[in-house]
Amino acid sequence: MLSMDKGMLPKAYTEKFTMSQYSAPPLSGPLVVNTFVKTLGKTPAQLYDAFDMKASNAASIGQVHKASKDGKQLAVKIQYPGVANSVKSDLRIVKPFAVRIVGMNEVDMDKYFEEIETKLLEETDYKLELRRSVELSELCAHIPNLVFPRYYANMSSDRIITMDWLQGKHLKEFLETNPTQDVRNRIGQALWDFYQFQMHKLRKVHADPHPGNFLLREDGTVGIFDFGCVKEIPEDFYVNYFLLTNQEVLKDEQRRREIYTNLEMIHPSDSEKEIEFFSGLFQKMISLLTLPFTVDRFDFGDEAYFTEIYAYMDYLYNLKEVRDSKVARGSRHSLYVNRTYFGLYSILSDLKADIKTGW
Amino acid sequence: MEKSDIRKAYEQYWLENGKQPVSVYAFCQPLNITEADFYERYSSFDALENDIWLGIFQESLAKLQPDETYQQYDAQEKLLAFYFMWVQDLKAHRSYILLQKSRFVVPGSELRQLETFRHAFYEYASDVIKEGYLHQQIKERKYVSDQYVHGFWLQALFVLRYWVKDTSERFEMTDAAIEKAVNLSFQLIRSNTLDSLIDFGKFMLTRK
Repeated sequence: MLSMDKGMLPKAYTEKFTMSQYSAPPLSGPLVVNTFVKTLGKTPAQLYDAFDMKASNAASIGQVHKASKDGKQLAVKIQYPGVANSVKSDLRIVKPFAVRIVGMNEVDMDKYFEEIETKLLEETDYKLELRRSVELSELCAHIPNLVFPRYYANMSSDRIITMDWLQGKHLKEFLETNPTQDVRNRIGQALWDFYQFQMHKLRKVHADPHPGNFLLREDGTVGIFDFGCVKEIPEDFYVNYFLLTNQEVLKDEQRRREIYTNLEMIHPSDSEKEIEFFSGLFQKMISLLTLPFTVDRFDFGDEAYFTEIYAYMDYLYNLKEVRDSKVARGSRHSLYVNRTYFGLYSILSDLKADIKTGW
Repeated sequence: MEKSDIRKAYEQYWLENGKQPVSVYAFCQPLNITEADFYERYSSFDALENDIWLGIFQESLAKLQPDETYQQYDAQEKLLAFYFMWVQDLKAHRSYILLQKSRFVVPGSELRQLETFRHAFYEYASDVIKEGYLHQQIKERKYVSDQYVHGFWLQALFVLRYWVKDTSERFEMTDAAIEKAVNLSFQLIRSNTLDSLIDFGKFMLTRK
């Protein structure tokens, strides 16, 4: 299995995981009240001017209610009780499936599982999420066309988060309104800048670019929330990872191998033949995927580009040598970083945004 | 001395000594009441222990009944709200309850302590069920309907046992267990496939 392919792993894996949560029926009114009383000492009626007992939508491990206070519309996210507790056991159930899907040996998989487990456990920690949301929204507030909700710590606990209700549409519904190219470009640009800034300046990134976490608006702005999954990027991983977007460096065979080794994409235990083989595949893959980084402007509406990527991934997936290789390729950090870029690319491609990508 | 004070003192005695007082006399001494005072209120330790459980139950109900939100709930939500409140109130007595649990070797014999609570709960549950009939949340079925209260009692015991064993933060797993158990029970007693099946069966058998 190839490292670039790994973006798929957390997706398949977390989907499986969240599925078990999705099948849970919505929380009953009394349980919602109970969660408030237990964690905030007050009932929703005491806390807000109005509180809609019916959930307006489901979040991955909870549900969102609409509320209002002092003339402000609020979104209140409530976590299903017991989720934090069952993350570990749920993962243990899913693990064998995941191992089979990816077809890797279990020991090699462990480093990835560890990464996923920590991330999922973090997602159940609403106190941490609140802290990160406030911090990252503030740091990114200067980026044009981004809108962040305000968070209310006094109405939040480790099972509840209260924030401003953002207006806007999810990607799919938004596209149905036929937004102009200019609006799509502006939103795409805002998202691109948002991720580049986090990646390069903060070294901390909103690692869940799921379309449900963005609210797109007609005026070309985008509302961003849900910092439940944040990947902090270690320095040496960062350096090596982004060296891959440097054309000059990639021309140097020696340097390239060094970087691959640092990123655990090739291992000291690999034979010369294997190194040769995988390096070749990596190079093609990387030059494809990093294309937007190497130019000043990139049109994500270019369907040929994505077709080529998918075709190449298909080709890799069916390659006998790749299928038979049980060795994990890619550092654990690449898991969520790749997933983030995959998510971003796919949103930009749906938007058909033509944006400035030079950094 | 009020009955509630005696109950409190009795729980206190358990917490400190981990066993029943050797006699009513020994129990009364430090409280500065006479045996006669005690017997005026309780005929035995058994009666007293029963009253502790009943007391917790009544405390929960007393908090729920005047609550406007509670009054607007349907049958299923009422029962849910009750369980949540009840396990919340049980918390204040948790150590005592854990001690009682270890006291009985034969499983099930601790139920003796729950007799008066059980009667009160039956009364409460049958009110909830009646309301469920009215709003068609619960289906009346010949012979079976009378067993609903017993079913809910078993559910209450399940909740209690789950809570006793629960080690999760804020007893969250108990909350989840309550939610799921009540959902399931109401789905079973709602008009469902089984009713249609019986109806169909009756039709096929009796039509000539």
